[in-house]
Amino acid sequence: MGGSIPGSGIADVAPAVVERMPAPRAHDRRWAVVRRAAAARLAPFGLAVTVIAVVAALFAPILSPHDPLKQDLANTLATPSRAHLLGTDNVGRDVLSRVLWGTRVSLVAGLGSVAIAVAAGSLLGLAAGYAGGQVDGLMMRAMDAVLSFPPLVLALALGAVLGAGLVGVVIALGVVYAPTFARLMRGQVLTISGREYVEAARALGSSGWRIAWRHVLPNATAPIVIQASLSVAFAILAEASLSFLGLGVQPPAASWGSMINAGRGYLQQAPWIVFGPGAALFVTVVGLNFVGDALRDALDPRLRA
Amino acid sequence: MGRLILRRLLATVPVLVLVTAGVFTLIHLTPGDPIDVMMAESVDPTVKANLRRELGLDRPIYVQYAAWMGRLLHGDLGRSIRNQEPVIENVGRRIRPSVQLAALAMAISLVIATPVGILSAARRNGPIDRVGTSFALFGICMPNFLLALLLIFLFGVKLRWLPISGYTDPLEDPTQGLRSLVLPAVTLGLALAAVVTRTLRSSMLEALSEDYVRTARAKGLSEARVIRGHVLKNALIPVVTVLGLQLGTLIGGAVITEYVFALPGVGRLVVDAVFARDYPLVQGVVLLIALGFILSNLAVDLLYGWIDPRIRYR
Repeated sequence: MGGSIPGSGIADVAPAVVERMPAPRAHDRRWAVVRRAAAARLAPFGLAVTVIAVVAALFAPILSPHDPLKQDLANTLATPSRAHLLGTDNVGRDVLSRVLWGTRVSLVAGLGSVAIAVAAGSLLGLAAGYAGGQVDGLMMRAMDAVLSFPPLVLALALGAVLGAGLVGVVIALGVVYAPTFARLMRGQVLTISGREYVEAARALGSSGWRIAWRHVLPNATAPIVIQASLSVAFAILAEASLSFLGLGVQPPAASWGSMINAGRGYLQQAPWIVFGPGAALFVTVVGLNFVGDALRDALDPRLRA
Repeated sequence: MGRLILRRLLATVPVLVLVTAGVFTLIHLTPGDPIDVMMAESVDPTVKANLRRELGLDRPIYVQYAAWMGRLLHGDLGRSIRNQEPVIENVGRRIRPSVQLAALAMAISLVIATPVGILSAARRNGPIDRVGTSFALFGICMPNFLLALLLIFLFGVKLRWLPISGYTDPLEDPTQGLRSLVLPAVTLGLALAAVVTRTLRSSMLEALSEDYVRTARAKGLSEARVIRGHVLKNALIPVVTVLGLQLGTLIGGAVITEYVFALPGVGRLVVDAVFARDYPLVQGVVLLIALGFILSNLAVDLLYGWIDPRIRYR
């Protein structure tokens, strides 16, 4: 939810339904998922926004009309014009160029932190689900402990001790989101390891790791993918919030959150400094949410209306 | 009900122990010496050594933890290294604006979400539903700080109706106090309203498709009575859960909102402590916030048991 670090709640995924039983051909199945995802009403918009964001991030050096760091003190707080489509900031830097470069920071933070959370959370969840007993109990209580902190407060505290900078923020957010994936994965392990085909594999002498790798992981992918796709949007919001507060990428480098914070002193004279990156942030998050929703609808037939 | 309370309280104990361990470890995650990070290089080495001794950083880590826990159990959360005041007093001075902000935000969110959620579900796919669901999406994707700046721009800078920062205690000057809290509370409340609207709408839709609703309609009850008498009560249960789950988001949102509007609350205290590298204060406040969060979740759990008797006997 807005601003703060949201989304550590597990998405409404039905574990039993997303589990895929062997289908005729993997290729056909994959295409069916893509087709279903594309059929969602707002998915094309979401996809377009996501593609634009990725392109902007990859090609920021080519697409930027100006150097994002170059100050032009003769041209400060300039209104949007043909030379500067989104105007200039308080030291004359081109806002559009900074927004484009800021896309990199946002995407790296969003994808990086979710990647850490998925990797760490899934491993912990697998281990807990398999080990069972006291190990499981202890690990899950530890996850509960992490979830006992309001996410933004935890990220802020972790960011503070890890030091300001993108790496600190990515790690902090990875830690904040990991328990969600650990719980999800553990639930999947418990559901799936009770299935007959897993019992059959066990009876045939498959090792625990082989069962985890061949049976549990593939079946647990769908809910993890759904949760991950929605978490990226929230992680981008979270990074922007932390950058806004002053953690995260340090000046003069551009990130949407820090640009908005720097611009708030000029709200009266030059609102574009705030609303340029603000619009980029809002549209990106909306787009990623649409993609996440479409993926959920496609992968989880129970939720399709 | 007594058994439920006892069971929940017992389940909280191991989590509390782990939370304290986590908060305690926080200071040790600093790359390098925490004392050097907290204090400028120019500070006298004896002052640094004194602080190191005071924080117990010169002793083995398990001894430090035991000592810290011992103090904690006596209600001593440590002292700020900036103003030398106990953490409790620091928080005590800041708690009032935060509670007022949270209460007002919660009230605003319910005032908006209840009618919008009910009407969205009752007139599914109608114009009100479309506006309602768009509003919910807007609220969920809109970062708090951006919404705050939009409101400041509109009501503070353009229209000049409301103050854009600062705080007056509403208990001392109700008019000025409320005026100083309106924008922050709306910022925080709108985001919460979005989530509550969404939940209320979907739980209403679920309740509307139940057999007892069909029976009620078959009896000839008016739609309004069906909703009031049968649907709403059942639809409220998930809303209470979501309100509980959203507490964390509310606290996080309060950190940002208090920062933007310069409200002297606990959220602002966290941010200030983080940037002053006042680690004992960060530890103390974060621990208190986590405790508050755990206790309110416990309260929500119990409330849930009170609303839905089936949960009590599970």
